[in-house]
Amino acid sequence: MKRLVSKRLVSTFALAVAMTAAGMTAASAGGPTSEDLLKSATTTDSVLTYGMGPQAQRFSPLTDLNPDTVKKLVPVWSFSFGGEKQRGQEAQPIIYDGTIYVTGSYSRLYAVDARTGHKKWQYDHRLPDGIMPCCDVVNRGAAILGDKIYFATLDARLVALNRETGKVIWNKKLAEYKEGASNTAAPMIVDGKIITGNSGGEFGVVGMVEARDAETGELIWQRPTVEGNMGTLKGKDSTVTGTLNASWPGDLYKTGGGATWLGGTYDPETKSLFFGTGNPAPWNSHLRPGDNLYTASTLAINPDNGEIKWHYQTTPHDGWDFDGVNEFVSFDLKKDGKIIKAGGKADRNGFFYVIDRTTGKLINASPFVSKITWAKEIDLKTGRPVYNDDNRPGAPAEGEAHGAKGKSVFAAPAFLGAKNWMPMAYNPQTDLFYVPANEWGMDIWNEAITYKKGAAYLGAGFTIKPLYDDYIGALRAIDPKTGKIVWEYKNPAPLWGGVLTTAGNLVFTGTPEGFLKAFEAKTGKEVWKFQTGSGVVGSPVTWTMDGEQYVAVVSGWGGAVPLWGGDVAKLVKDINQGGSLWVFKLPKA
Amino acid sequence: MPVLTRRRLLSGLAVAAAAPLALAGRPSLARPLDDVAARGRLRVAVYRDFPPFSFRKDGVLTGIDVDVADLIAKKLGVRLDCADQMAGETVSDDLRVAVWRGSLFGGEIADIMMHAPYDKEYGLRNPEAVLFAPYHQEGFALARNPARVPSAMLATLPDEPIAVERDSVPDFFLLGLQGGRLRNRLIHCRTPEAAMEKLLSGEASAVLAPQSQIEAALGPRAAEFPVTSVILPGMMASRWNIGLATKENARDLAYAVGDAITAMIEDGTMAAIFRRYGATHTPPPLVD
Repeated sequence: MKRLVSKRLVSTFALAVAMTAAGMTAASAGGPTSEDLLKSATTTDSVLTYGMGPQAQRFSPLTDLNPDTVKKLVPVWSFSFGGEKQRGQEAQPIIYDGTIYVTGSYSRLYAVDARTGHKKWQYDHRLPDGIMPCCDVVNRGAAILGDKIYFATLDARLVALNRETGKVIWNKKLAEYKEGASNTAAPMIVDGKIITGNSGGEFGVVGMVEARDAETGELIWQRPTVEGNMGTLKGKDSTVTGTLNASWPGDLYKTGGGATWLGGTYDPETKSLFFGTGNPAPWNSHLRPGDNLYTASTLAINPDNGEIKWHYQTTPHDGWDFDGVNEFVSFDLKKDGKIIKAGGKADRNGFFYVIDRTTGKLINASPFVSKITWAKEIDLKTGRPVYNDDNRPGAPAEGEAHGAKGKSVFAAPAFLGAKNWMPMAYNPQTDLFYVPANEWGMDIWNEAITYKKGAAYLGAGFTIKPLYDDYIGALRAIDPKTGKIVWEYKNPAPLWGGVLTTAGNLVFTGTPEGFLKAFEAKTGKEVWKFQTGSGVVGSPVTWTMDGEQYVAVVSGWGGAVPLWGGDVAKLVKDINQGGSLWVFKLPKA
Repeated sequence: MPVLTRRRLLSGLAVAAAAPLALAGRPSLARPLDDVAARGRLRVAVYRDFPPFSFRKDGVLTGIDVDVADLIAKKLGVRLDCADQMAGETVSDDLRVAVWRGSLFGGEIADIMMHAPYDKEYGLRNPEAVLFAPYHQEGFALARNPARVPSAMLATLPDEPIAVERDSVPDFFLLGLQGGRLRNRLIHCRTPEAAMEKLLSGEASAVLAPQSQIEAALGPRAAEFPVTSVILPGMMASRWNIGLATKENARDLAYAVGDAITAMIEDGTMAAIFRRYGATHTPPPLVD
């Protein structure tokens, strides 16, 4: 306690000095505090949190850059991640006190001088031999608090480093990589706790949200996401998630999936963590009758003890691999002269949900892609989907001959989702969400012959198919009051990068074709683009430094599309890999 | 043109199927036979933690597949360099990592991979690899406690706890059997070996799993628990052939290794290796 008090005194003192010296800067020797992180959505001289604020609106109040000035936005420097290891670069940079902290593929972390692009240090996590992460070897970003910078690794560890030196302070095991666990999400810090999700949904693990002491890495609480599993608090059993066997048969809840692989968001107003959960296991829905709670859901969790406040399940009894991990973004819904504390979620299943974030009650749900085959609509009274029953992939064991395909159904969206991991943005000035969507469907069938670890296996076969000849990706502006699409930008390749919006009436996002692009937030008119040399699948950020507005984004093509994309993978096969951080600025005068 | 002996025919089936692709002008990256001989070393991929085929005992890699690989290397007159690889989501992932693209994390591509399915359809779906030299036929079996499960008839399995490997064909079969009659009685385990522990400890009354893994796990207690080979009605393959895999352009290596395998089956060496680990060798049928 004493140490905490003195640390706060130091940082307050430093803050005062720094503010005198450089106006609005929050830089200090002690580093950002938990308070700073909570306020990070409005701090413009730094980017302290994944999502540019705990609510993850990815909105900046900066206005220097706007549709008139953006044509003067120019590259300042580019930094190569180096090495032979490239592949997908999905990170969002963290920026503090003139340093950019950015993660690269293969669990690497870099500290780079924000003014010069000079590398301060680099940490290459030593990955064990033979790990088999399901998807690509990406990392989505770091977290910062005090003197430490944190990130999670492909072998499911959480590493804390000294942010000045890059020296490891602690390195904790989150889960067992030998059982298929992995971690690619940016951790989140709330009130001195570092909070993480887990990956490995493809391997029959149970989704988990965990809080650790950010200072020591010691576990504080664990919350399994699947009904029937026991949580922990301070090393003791706490409460069971949901009700045992209420929505799962037998012991399937012990391996029920629901991984929280994309991490979460936090709303300081309602003091709730929001985590999305992955699809249930086993993959064939006919073998696990019931809603399979809380897979394919959003959970509101108390950060103090890991108790679930409410849940909303977007795809009950999922049969299409529509995992529900997508970020839940808190915002104030201005409707009928009232302000409702709401949250928005663009789900992999193709619906955009607006939910009361104090109760979990559905307010509105509307399609954000042009074709949805699995459900007719979401019933606003019950909050449940109205399924198209004949679009559910078939049950196994229907006497299929060896070598024959099972019943094939065409389902849209494809399992890669109407929106995959890439985070959307919300602009409180336009009252619009900006959603990076993809228009694709899939043929899905029971594969009569497949094999797993030397044994015959019954898998699902997929072929992903674009819905249109001229585009797959669509950046869409959605009005959360009505669910209407206000404007859209169509992109030939699937969109796979995050979105940023600003008070300067701008929206930024990257494309696999290599561009970072800017659009007018109100109209969708494209106003700027820059070719980065490889596909952009990271999340851009903006901040001010020395009185000028900067933008940064990582470039490096990869992610799940080239691995899983079927016909789509052929479309993007000529995109070269890369691995670099690009920094731009709007020069003074 | 090599002489078409029966052995060559056997080992060459999949090679012939993949030939059009092999001729399509892909760069040669695998090390065919001459490279292996020049290097004096055969790199073989086996599955990690996969008793009785490939597992670590006191830190040393051992098992049926490791012993077979060792004899292949001896026949080729080179040293065995065996690497155990974690299983991916499906065998297609394992083939990619083991023999044709390699791991995203670097390291060497294996010359051959043990324990790949020998299945023409599956081979066509994985054109970058060649599936060849089947050396064993595997199938599912029921091991039971006869006091609690008096018969191996699947349709009349009593309302007793049954252990299965999670996310496996036996798992899916029993979850779906007769409208899910036994759904609530299944004990889901991470591996067939863990399922067998449930049987040996009395927690489960029966286990449905690949026969070799059941037999090896029973070991000295085989007399207590009858093992019956079963067909799972309505499911796809209940029996399948196990062979090797290499990269599509390594056919001379495939011929030489195929000859070694055939000789091992014909002179009884293969059966002896299986016996050493408590399992029963079943030769694959000569014609697929």
